[in-house]
This record gives sequence, structure tokens and C-alpha cells, in this order.
Amino acid sequence: VTYKWLSYTLGVHVNQAKQMLYDYVERKRKENSGAQLHVTYLVAGNLLQNGYVCHKVAVVREDKLEAMKSKLSTLASVHVYSIQKALLKDSSPLYNTDYDIVKSNLQHCSKFSAIHCAAAVLRTPPDAPRTPAPAPSTQRQRDPDAAGVVNGHGPPAAKPPPQQPRGIMGMFAAKAAAKSQDTPKETKAEAKEAPGMSAASSKAPTKNSIMNNFFGKAAMNKLKANSVPEQPKEEKEVVKPSVAVAEPESYPNTVAEKPGKKAESARIQQKDKKSKMKRADRSDDEEERDPENVKKKRKRIKQLQSDSSDEEDVPPSPTPEEERAPSPPPVPALKTELEPASTEGSSGERKRKRKRVLKSKMFIDEEEGCMGKTG
Amino acid sequence: MFSEQAAPTAQGLLAPPSAKAPTFPRVPVSGYLDCSQPFQLGERSFSWQYAHIYAVRLAGMRPGLERCARRRWGNDIALRKLSELQAGEKCCVVGTLFKAMQLQPSILQEISEEHNLVPQPPLPKYIQPSDKLILEDELQRIKLEGAIDVQRLVTGTILAVYGSEQDDGRFLVEDHCFADLPPPLPWNGPSSNRFVLLASGLGLGSVSGEALLSTQLLVDVVTGQLGAEGEQSCAAHITRVILAGNLLSQNTQSRDTINKAKYLTKKTQAASVEAVKMLDEILLQLCTSVPVDVMPGEFDPTNYTLPQQPLHRCMLPLASAYATLRLVTNPYQANLDGVRFLGTSGQNISDIFKYSSMDDYLEILEWTLLAGHISPTAPDTLGCYPFYKSDPFILTECPHVYFCGNAPHFQSKLLQGKEGQRVLLVTVPDFSATQTACLVNLHDLTCQPITFSGFGADSE
Repeated sequence: VTYKWLSYTLGVHVNQAKQMLYDYVERKRKENSGAQLHVTYLVAGNLLQNGYVCHKVAVVREDKLEAMKSKLSTLASVHVYSIQKALLKDSSPLYNTDYDIVKSNLQHCSKFSAIHCAAAVLRTPPDAPRTPAPAPSTQRQRDPDAAGVVNGHGPPAAKPPPQQPRGIMGMFAAKAAAKSQDTPKETKAEAKEAPGMSAASSKAPTKNSIMNNFFGKAAMNKLKANSVPEQPKEEKEVVKPSVAVAEPESYPNTVAEKPGKKAESARIQQKDKKSKMKRADRSDDEEERDPENVKKKRKRIKQLQSDSSDEEDVPPSPTPEEERAPSPPPVPALKTELEPASTEGSSGERKRKRKRVLKSKMFIDEEEGCMGKTG
Repeated sequence: MFSEQAAPTAQGLLAPPSAKAPTFPRVPVSGYLDCSQPFQLGERSFSWQYAHIYAVRLAGMRPGLERCARRRWGNDIALRKLSELQAGEKCCVVGTLFKAMQLQPSILQEISEEHNLVPQPPLPKYIQPSDKLILEDELQRIKLEGAIDVQRLVTGTILAVYGSEQDDGRFLVEDHCFADLPPPLPWNGPSSNRFVLLASGLGLGSVSGEALLSTQLLVDVVTGQLGAEGEQSCAAHITRVILAGNLLSQNTQSRDTINKAKYLTKKTQAASVEAVKMLDEILLQLCTSVPVDVMPGEFDPTNYTLPQQPLHRCMLPLASAYATLRLVTNPYQANLDGVRFLGTSGQNISDIFKYSSMDDYLEILEWTLLAGHISPTAPDTLGCYPFYKSDPFILTECPHVYFCGNAPHFQSKLLQGKEGQRVLLVTVPDFSATQTACLVNLHDLTCQPITFSGFGADSE
């Protein structure tokens, strides 16, 4: 239990978390309850090193605390860093705890910090030609208008961030009812995902609910399109990895996910080489169960497929680069719009419906053992 | 700096929870001006020969050097071009230095079939006692000998030599001088303590993970999560963080996949992909709290030749959502709160290190400032874009803080110039090796290293 983990989990200021930890240690020790607690402290101060007065910040175990304090010429701060039951051999568990908790809270990682920076606002988008009237958006939103990109006429957005679509699906499941153009298949998918996702979604409340919904839907559509024609076992596998992924890593809807996801969808639409890729993607997903790599693999395979020749030595880099190049202008740009987004979303979904039908055909074909591209 | 202010409340957090914890607002960015336009290449055309750089460099630095020469050796010395030299006459010549080194890796030797040579393995230093110095100007070249330190100087330096031509065609040098410090910039520094954190060599993506906790501690200190209240309020005075290169580690550069069979490498991805993701997350944490300038370095995914262009923002989708992230070129020049910063990610200094007898990074840094040129060895041994109109690496104004990244250890020095220039020279150490970053105080131009450590199995 590190102070940062406590701060995020309880939603308190980091200083309060540190004090809470200290208080807990003191009380437990006074009780003499017998359970041995090992505490690590953070010590900071001035130290003479190599002829320079160096400011040293160190995490030390309790037994080394006094030694470190005496080494420092002036003590700047000392506080409890973490408490654990077992004696730590090295600091990697501390790092891992912090890494995980920060990763699941990336959007507001400075919320409980002691310093607030007024300048850290999201970039305001330049004027986007496809979005008529800017709708009010929360400050944390960023470029939900990449919705426009999904319609296929925009260049795909930036390189997909490491989020899993399932994380978005989790968000989507939580905010299922809000979006107006819900189609039945989405609600179905949502229901499927809901039990798995509820845990994930509860962990990460977001403000951009509507955009998330749209985005989530887009992702859902894609995944649904894959999962529906698949056999039940495959569907289950799709859900399972998503559940597995979403829970440990439940990302809140980072806005970056959206453009990335849309990039994927857009790419899908643009390239028109869906099922083989999807199939390959699915199998990759199921094989690897590695959330981080799925997106990358999807992207790579997509690019491999996008070359008509079956050459595999198409390096992924040129294609994303050229895709990236046009995308940064629209991507970091735009504010949300509710109405245009929804209309665009619905058209996107229509396209995806079409795609889905195609895919089912393809799946059947492939299940018959035919490896050629059809339809 | 931190410690004195923070000491009173050092133990404050060893107490039961208090009702309300204070939060400190970050000191606002008062004056930021990005001056690195000369280093930003617009359209790049590689159809120019590299000889043009030397020509413009010489043309650009010649007036300054002639002034220095006159100051040093008297107003009445004869300034001659090489073509006008007469034997025995004492005069001063301004030209480009060329050092003929035997060990210098040469691509022509490598591909020469007659010699059947194996390509030379990279050496730490390529200097040899048999190196020779040659002075060139626009039309001719002449060998130099005499009171000039052959080992110390590198190719591409523009200097003025004072001496006379011998009968055998060599120039006997009695004295030489460099361009000296450029003219000073007015000082508009802040009136209270403001800090800038300089860090380089984060080295993400490396196989070893020891530096990861230290990186996290660095982020925590800057974002104000770590430390007692006093320290946090000091951290709120950090107005900017500059990451000077090598954000990814050298391990991400492996190109084995090119040599392996396709079926083996189909499912693998470049190590840099994972590393860039980690970088994005770290930058996101920093950007929510402080303005960050990110400079590319030797192992970062950008172009190889100097000046390196900024990293592309699509590689950092999470962090580039924030306006506080600035992706800048290498070398980088900016006015922060009225203080002019100029620095590189260290490729120029380490290149000079290889071809000169100077061992100390701080010494080399100072020497480049005195020589008036950020990177004289480009394009000879360091990749460089073929400039033909002007050489942007010539120092025209004296910065207040001159730094280089990825040095082996931290060093800093305040240099005073004759015309009232005050320059703080800082060699920013490689964070992945030393877990040290630098805090520069803009108010009084001092610098303090800040070290982070966790505890390992072999704690001291």
C-alpha cells in the first residue's frame, strides 16, 4: 500500500494519505497486535556528493531511515511512503503498485497532487471544417470530433494508443442508455459485456459520457460485427479477454482512445479488407491475450493486408506515418459536438452494419476452410 | 535550494491526518518564447553539397574573428587570405581547421576492395599523435605547426592564427584565437526563485528496470505528490521541465528483426513502440502539472542528422492533448522568464569528445562556447543537414544557460565573460545511469543536482 495508491483509491489529497498511513502505523504499533508491519519512508534532503551539494530523494526501508537521515546535512522532508506486511527485497512492488494505479487513473493523475497547474488545459481545437457548431464540452474532452473521421472521409487518426477497445466497451456499457442512436445490436452487445464491464466501468467515471458512448459504440460495432457471426466459443473468448483486460487495466475513456479507435474503424472502412484481418485479429487476440499488443497487431496486420500483395515485409511504419501526417490537424483539434457527432455516428454505424454482413459471409467461408478473400 | 526552504515542515507529515491539506498553485509561466526557429527545417532538400556549410560558416564567423584578432594582436596586424601569403611575413589568417586523423573512420576505406579492410570497430577516442592540422579558407589550404595544440582541436573550427609562412610551405603558428564569447543578451531574469528542471537520458524501454522507480520519483516530486509540504511548495516553483534527449534507451535501437527470417519476426514489434507508450504515460503525468519541453536525442524516433526535428505528436497521443507539452528540436533555444536557454542532447559534445583530447564534458561545453559554434564537427563526423544559406549552429548571442544532455555526470560552472556575459554551463547527466537531474534556479543562475533512489537488494 503506497501513499499514492491510497490517495487514488480513497480520493484524498496525497498529503492526507501520507498522514493516514502514518497514523495507521502508529496505532497498530501501539496496539502491539503482533502483525508485523514493514514501513518504507521517503527521505529528502541535501547531501554533499562529488563536491556538489546535491538534493537527494530516496525511498528507504525503516531500518535504514535513521542512517539516511544522518547522512543528509539538511532534511527537507520525510514521510511514510508505503506499508506492507512482508519485508520488501527491492522497490519493484512499490513501483508496480504505483504504476498500476496511475495507469488506471491517467486522466486525472494530478487531481490529488499538492500542486495545481493552471496552464495544464487541453488544447483547443483549431476550426474543423466538418463540424458546424461547437457544442459545449467538458474541459477534459479532446477531439471527440474525430467522429467525423470515422465516416471514412477523414484520414485516420493518430497511431492507436495502447488502450484496449474493451476498456472503452466498459465505459460504454456503463453509459449504455444515454446515446440516442442505439441500435439493437449494440444493446445486445452491451448486455453481453455488461457483467464483465461493470467492475471496470465503476472504477473510472468519466465526464465525456456521450462521446464515450459514441466511441464505445463504434468500437462495439466493430467487435460485435466480429463476434456475432463467430461461434459462441469465440464470442466468449472475446468477452473473456476483454473482461480480463478491463479489470486490471480499466482505463477510463481517455480521449486519446477515441481517435485511436476511430482510426481503427476508419482504417477498416477505408481499406475494405475486413474479414481476413478481423479473423486474423481475433485469432491473434485469443492467442496472445496481450492487451497491449492487440492494437498493434491489428494495425500491423491491417497494413499487411492493405498491400494487395501478400508480402509480409511491408514495414508498418510507412503506412502509419502517412496516416499520421494528415491526422494530427484534425486529431488534436476538435471539441465535441453532440448533434453532428450523433448523426455521423449513426452513419458510421450504418456502414458498420454493412461491414458486419460482409464479415459474416467471410467467416462462413473461412470456416469452410477456404482461405481466399470473398465478397 | 529546496532543502532550506523545506526544512521547517520536514516532519510535518508524520502525524495523524489533518483536516485539510494545502495545495499549491504552480508558479505561472510568465515569459516563454521559443527561439529555436533556425533549427526547424521546413522543406528539406538534400541536393546540396556539404561544402556549402563550411563556406557559409567561414563567411559568417570571419568578421567576428577578425575583430577578435585585432583586439588580441593589435590593430595594425595584417589580415591575409591564404592566397595572399608571402613567405616570412607575420600575418593573421582566418580559416577552417581540418584535422587529418589516421584513425578516423572513413567510408571510403571501408569499401575499398584493395585494402580488404574489416570495418573499424568504434573506439572511444580516435586521436593519435600523428594527427595533423590543416587550415583551409575559401580557396587554399596550408599545413599548420607550431604553438597550436593538435590533439585538442577538432575539424570544422573556425579560428584565426597568427604567424608566418615558412619556406617549405607550412605555416608556423605563434598564437591562435577563437571567436570568443558572443555578445551578451540583456538580463531580464525573474525576481524570485524560479526553477527549471533539466533531465536527460530517461532511457525508457531498456531491459533493466532500476531506473523506473527513480523516474517515477522524479515525476512525483515535480508534480508535487512526493515530499512534505515544504518540499511541495518548493516544487510548485518549478516552472518548466526540459527533457534533453534520449528518452528511449539504446536497447530500443536493435535492428535484429531485419536480419531474421520473416516468419520469426511477424508477431514481434519494435521495442521502441512499448517504450514510447511508457514515455507517453510519464509525459501525461508531467503535463497535467507542469509545462514540459521534449527534445529528441540520439536514440529517439526522429531524424538522425542535426538539427533533429521535434518528435511527432502522434507518437504521444495522451500527452499531446495538453497544451503544456512542447515538442522541440535538438538543439533547442528558448527564452524562459527572460533567461535564454540553449542546449543540445549531447551528440555534439560526445562527438568532440571522440575526436579531441579533451576529456571533460564541461570543458568541451565551455570550449564550444568560446569557439562560437555549437557543433564544429558537423558535418564531418556528425550527421548534419546540408545548409547552404546560413549555418544555424553559429552562436550569435550569448545564452544565459548553456546545457548539454546525456553527459556521464553532472557538472556545472558559471562563466563570466569580458563583456559582462554570465553563462551557466550545465552538463546534464544521463538519468538512466545516474538517477540525477538538474534544477536550475533562474533567479541567481545556480544549479543543483537532484538524485533519486529506491532501495535494491544491495542497499548500502
